[in-house]
Amino acid sequence: MSVHTQTSSPETIQSVLGSKARKRDWRKREVAVAFVFLAPWLIGLIGLTLGPMLYSLYLSFTDYNLLSSPKWVGLQNFVTMFTSDERFWVSTRVTIVYVIFGVPLILIVSLMIAALLNSKIAFLSGYRALFYLPSLMGASVAIAALWRQIFGGNGLINQILSYFGIEAGSWVGNPDTALGTLVVLALWAFGSTMIIFLAGLRQIPAELYEAAAVDGAGRVRRFLNITLPMLTPIIFFNALMVTINAFQAFTPAYVISGGTGGPVNSTLFYTLYLYQQGFAQLNMGYASAMAWLLVAVLAIFSGLFFWSSRYWVYYGDK
Amino acid sequence: MKWIRRSSGIAAAAGLALTLAACSGGAEGAGGDSQDGTGDVSGQIAVAWWGGEARSAKTNAVIDLFTAQNDGVKVDGQATADFSKYFDKLNVQAASQSLPCAVQLQGRQVNDYTKNDLLMPLDPMIESGAIDVSDIPKSVLDNGRGTDGKLYFLPYGAAYDAVGINTTLADEAGVGLPEEGYDWDDYMSYLTEAQESLPEGVRAIDSNGGRPNFFIGWTLANGKSLFNDEGKLGFTEQDLTEYWNMWETVRKAGVTMPAARTAEEPTGPDQGFFATGEVMSDTIPGNALTPATETLEGQGEGQEMTTIPFPSGPAGSGNALYPSGFAIPVSCDNVPTAAAFIDFFTNDLEAGKAFAADNGAPTNTKVLEALIADDSLTPTKKHELELYKQIVESDPQAIVFPPGYQATFESSFKRAYEDVSFGKSTVEDAVKQFFSEANSSLGT
Repeated sequence: MSVHTQTSSPETIQSVLGSKARKRDWRKREVAVAFVFLAPWLIGLIGLTLGPMLYSLYLSFTDYNLLSSPKWVGLQNFVTMFTSDERFWVSTRVTIVYVIFGVPLILIVSLMIAALLNSKIAFLSGYRALFYLPSLMGASVAIAALWRQIFGGNGLINQILSYFGIEAGSWVGNPDTALGTLVVLALWAFGSTMIIFLAGLRQIPAELYEAAAVDGAGRVRRFLNITLPMLTPIIFFNALMVTINAFQAFTPAYVISGGTGGPVNSTLFYTLYLYQQGFAQLNMGYASAMAWLLVAVLAIFSGLFFWSSRYWVYYGDK
Repeated sequence: MKWIRRSSGIAAAAGLALTLAACSGGAEGAGGDSQDGTGDVSGQIAVAWWGGEARSAKTNAVIDLFTAQNDGVKVDGQATADFSKYFDKLNVQAASQSLPCAVQLQGRQVNDYTKNDLLMPLDPMIESGAIDVSDIPKSVLDNGRGTDGKLYFLPYGAAYDAVGINTTLADEAGVGLPEEGYDWDDYMSYLTEAQESLPEGVRAIDSNGGRPNFFIGWTLANGKSLFNDEGKLGFTEQDLTEYWNMWETVRKAGVTMPAARTAEEPTGPDQGFFATGEVMSDTIPGNALTPATETLEGQGEGQEMTTIPFPSGPAGSGNALYPSGFAIPVSCDNVPTAAAFIDFFTNDLEAGKAFAADNGAPTNTKVLEALIADDSLTPTKKHELELYKQIVESDPQAIVFPPGYQATFESSFKRAYEDVSFGKSTVEDAVKQFFSEANSSLGT
């Protein structure tokens, strides 16, 4: 690039051309090497993610029972879903209730804990590790199984309650409370959200707080007028992630209800119903249609969320 | 980073099917040359079964005996611990035409596979002598037949459902055992009477209206058929209404576990409330007596249990057999070896001893007699076998389960009654709901 400014004698042109060609060769080789190194990932992406996804898009327009070849049925799966499948709507309702209660709770609790841990107290790193620990295990089968023991009829919670003379029935066996125990389980695993909040809190310049303190702003004032606005990009990111996560929740409901979504469909998450349709009832076409509907809904939701962000997310550089 | 893992999980789940389809091909049409199972017993076959570690060890012992007798044969054993996961795996293998040459099945699922022409009929192999069925009672063998009447799996072990009684609790309550030949009314009053004297927190029986096993026994005893010739429901809405009302009466009287407790009951007869001594009676598979007894002994209360046949009725015994056996898929490329293996597994005396009736009573009567005479068997195991003999003598009816039974009947049945027991639905509405759900997917 800088060669243009030089007076060009034939030799320099020659050498420049030569070096350009060499450069091009080298570029080509570099690209080839890059592809070689990327190959495992690319093969994985195309073979294990993209290919299967596109195929499942095709399957969503078919009647496919795994054991015989798919039959094209057009939009039939989607029509059934919207017009005659009661359990589809039940699962949608359960999932939305879970998202509406779970997501704000997780965000509020993890932000509160992060704010607490963002102070100068003894054993701070120890506390952080402790609070993060549950989320390492939160989505695991073992914890969901443990949840059955804690919230069961003879579980820990009821034993503690009976100590105070309160007789409560089974929490996971009761259709009115089963979903609540799953929200509590999700809440308990707030660690990763909390860590991101904590990182965000550390980024807020201390001068802002000092200036506000000089102006006589109290703790609440400082939190509302400095912490929250400065934290909006992080809140945006966390809210998006937690919401998408909540829409896709599967493991806890699968383990706690033994895969049935019971009692009385009270924990029939969308993905759990999808799994039942696909692998228990062998309606893989229908299950694929459900999966793609979820993808579409999540895409629309994310789009709207991104659009709304310009009105409430504050980036320091603007 | 958790979300990344999750979303790729969804993609994987959504796309699993197509990977399978993409990998398929090849094995099609192979094995067509030996429909009668005769030929060289050599080369390699894969064998698949469900069951925990103990059963796998015994199955592997039989495989070792088989390979020791047949030079140059290699058997690749594929065990899956969980019953329903086993079928998930088979479905995936079927989709990719890579089913093992000998797959273990039961009558409840066999027609999901015959419907799609995935299994070879075994009748030609019986005619050619490659498979011997002369020591298997006909009423037991018939459980291996598909909707078209052909034999698709060779039953080696026959499970049956029994009524389990916690004899310690029953004696304490002063009711003893139900009298021989008891019917459903007797059973219900027996339970109701026992409940009056049971310890606090213990119920006479689980909230069981949603258990298909009990309902099947009730239809048999009352001479109703479970399915009609088209594979749709063979009993009437009135029948089911009557049946569920019977359970609702005892549930409302506090004789059964509360619905919320039943909803959280761990699955598996060795983990349920009967095994832990929280209910006095329940239906358990006959061959679950041994593991359930172990669990009960582990509770440290010194309680004992036994099993008796199902209640009878106007039509006779209410017991059905649920034999397990091996089938040979059409995609198998080594039919002679597969046929020799399932024949060996079912009929060989030494194989029967090595397997020790781990999955139901041996269908081969000679193997059964040898085991009953064998002193190394525990009394509990012997009781299992003797009760089986008693049930077979009553000539139990073989049930042909239509395709879709496993996928729809069982889950819809349980769900519909759960709606009733939680007071979310009336019996009449739940019956209607069940009929429309079951009939829309059964037999198709």
